[in-house]
Amino acid sequence: MALSTIVSQRKQITRKAPRGFLKRIFKRQKPHLRLDPTADLLVHLNCLLFVHRLAEEARINACENKCRILNKDHVLAAAKVILKKSRG
Amino acid sequence: MADINSPDSEPTTRTLLRRVLDTATPRRPRSASARRTLYEKVPSRNLRSQTKTPVRQCTHEARPVGKLARVQASGHLEEQTPRTLLKNILLSAPESATLMPESMVKPVPAPQVVQPSRRESSRGSLELRLPELEPSTTLAPGVLAPGKRKQRLRLSMFQQEVDQGLPPSQEPPGTADASSVTSSLNLTFATPLQPQSVRRPGLSRRPLTRRAVDVGAFMQDLHNSSLALAPSGPGEPAQFLAGKAEEVDVELSGGEVGEEAEDRMEEEGLHVSKVKEAAGGQELARTGEPEGHTQVSEAEASQRATEAEEPEESSMDEDVAGRAASPEVARSTPRFLQAKQVHQFLKPAPPSGVAASSSEALELLSARISSRHQTVGPRPQRDPYKAGLSHYAKLFSFYAKMPMEKKAFEMVEKCLDKYFQYLCDDLEVFATHAGRKTVKPEDLQLLMRRQGLVTDQVSLHVLVERHLPLEYRQLLIPCAFSGNSVFPAQ
Repeated sequence: MALSTIVSQRKQITRKAPRGFLKRIFKRQKPHLRLDPTADLLVHLNCLLFVHRLAEEARINACENKCRILNKDHVLAAAKVILKKSRG
Repeated sequence: MADINSPDSEPTTRTLLRRVLDTATPRRPRSASARRTLYEKVPSRNLRSQTKTPVRQCTHEARPVGKLARVQASGHLEEQTPRTLLKNILLSAPESATLMPESMVKPVPAPQVVQPSRRESSRGSLELRLPELEPSTTLAPGVLAPGKRKQRLRLSMFQQEVDQGLPPSQEPPGTADASSVTSSLNLTFATPLQPQSVRRPGLSRRPLTRRAVDVGAFMQDLHNSSLALAPSGPGEPAQFLAGKAEEVDVELSGGEVGEEAEDRMEEEGLHVSKVKEAAGGQELARTGEPEGHTQVSEAEASQRATEAEEPEESSMDEDVAGRAASPEVARSTPRFLQAKQVHQFLKPAPPSGVAASSSEALELLSARISSRHQTVGPRPQRDPYKAGLSHYAKLFSFYAKMPMEKKAFEMVEKCLDKYFQYLCDDLEVFATHAGRKTVKPEDLQLLMRRQGLVTDQVSLHVLVERHLPLEYRQLLIPCAFSGNSVFPAQ
């Protein structure tokens, strides 16, 4: 109860999770399943961490090639590795 | 009055204005003594009200000139209403300079109500001596209307005298004098504009040029061209349209009318016809030539077209099949900015001489529009989907801390797409394994553990705290509150 009041006071969240967007994606892929509202946020967290790892890997690739700018090749190579890791 | 005048013999705007106000207020006939008392108040008021010392200096300086001016002014004041007085002030604004010759004196008498505010603003332009039309125009334009003719006459004289008077006027002590002179001068310069603007008060100043006739001629040309269009392919209509488009463009380049013409075209374009698309594309090409206005008009048309796109799409699809030249081609061009056919027509358009240059501009526009509204089906998949993906792509660029190529962004979006597919599959597996039809946070936790994000060292709560904002953190991590309560409830 106390928490709800705190949450309602400050409505502006700087880094909002696109909950509607995530729900729509999930519905489109698995229409027979439902997504919990709290699980929604964890999905967003998962996406953030995935993107984080992807960016790290791509940055390492670019630094190895001594490039100042991220090319799509770097990103592609990084994606291969990270996607494999993220399969679970 | 003479005795009153002598104590404060300043023809400055402020003092004159004061006097006017004092004299203006008593409309009923007053004795000279009463007036005198009013006038006596003026100097004290002047001293009190005038925050600027230079004004006082000016007053001292302007004595000789002021006397004459004041006499005239007083005569004016007694007989005129405040409105007329103000008018005179505005008319004679420039003449408030201390060293102005007698010819200038006459305009000076009218006290200048606006002077105080104006002077401040005009002081800034002292050096430039540029006419500051804006401040003066805003003041009582209606009052100036009758006096504009006199104004002009005085202006010419004034300008001459200003040029002569300014250099000597600056010598006298204090820049205040000069500033006051110049301020008055500035006012004079400003006045000529006022009468012009006053002629037509309010919004009726701008003469509206109705181009209805041009559009009508355009339509006729279209009719003529449509007849010729039927036998020929899209190439010739393009030329015809080019000619007409040029006419339209000329009109459009007029500025305001462009929008009107487009409105008319749009109204007529309500009839969806077959050739519209072809003509539309070509017309767009033509309109693109006079770039500035046409592009604006195109943008507007495209905007309107996009708004009306959906109802039109079905009809457009039907019309694509038939391509008979019709007079409505030109009308419907704005509608067809969105049409995919615009692309196709842009391709044949380039060969036509007129469209060559404009086709590129049109292609850009049409490409943008068509990419946005290719078909109804993929649209919901593209726009919000891409928007969501770009949201994460931005985060990618933020995490990478390095400049990225545009193609790299597209690559990231593709990877995200694949990742979402994997994610949903995994979550489904976990939920069905647990015998549930809803994906719960426990499934997510399991997924993250399997991904290697959550280990024995790093718990989920740690990750939540690290990456999510406070509000979400509160929702996810159970926290103990007073009264033996836990939120969220476990």
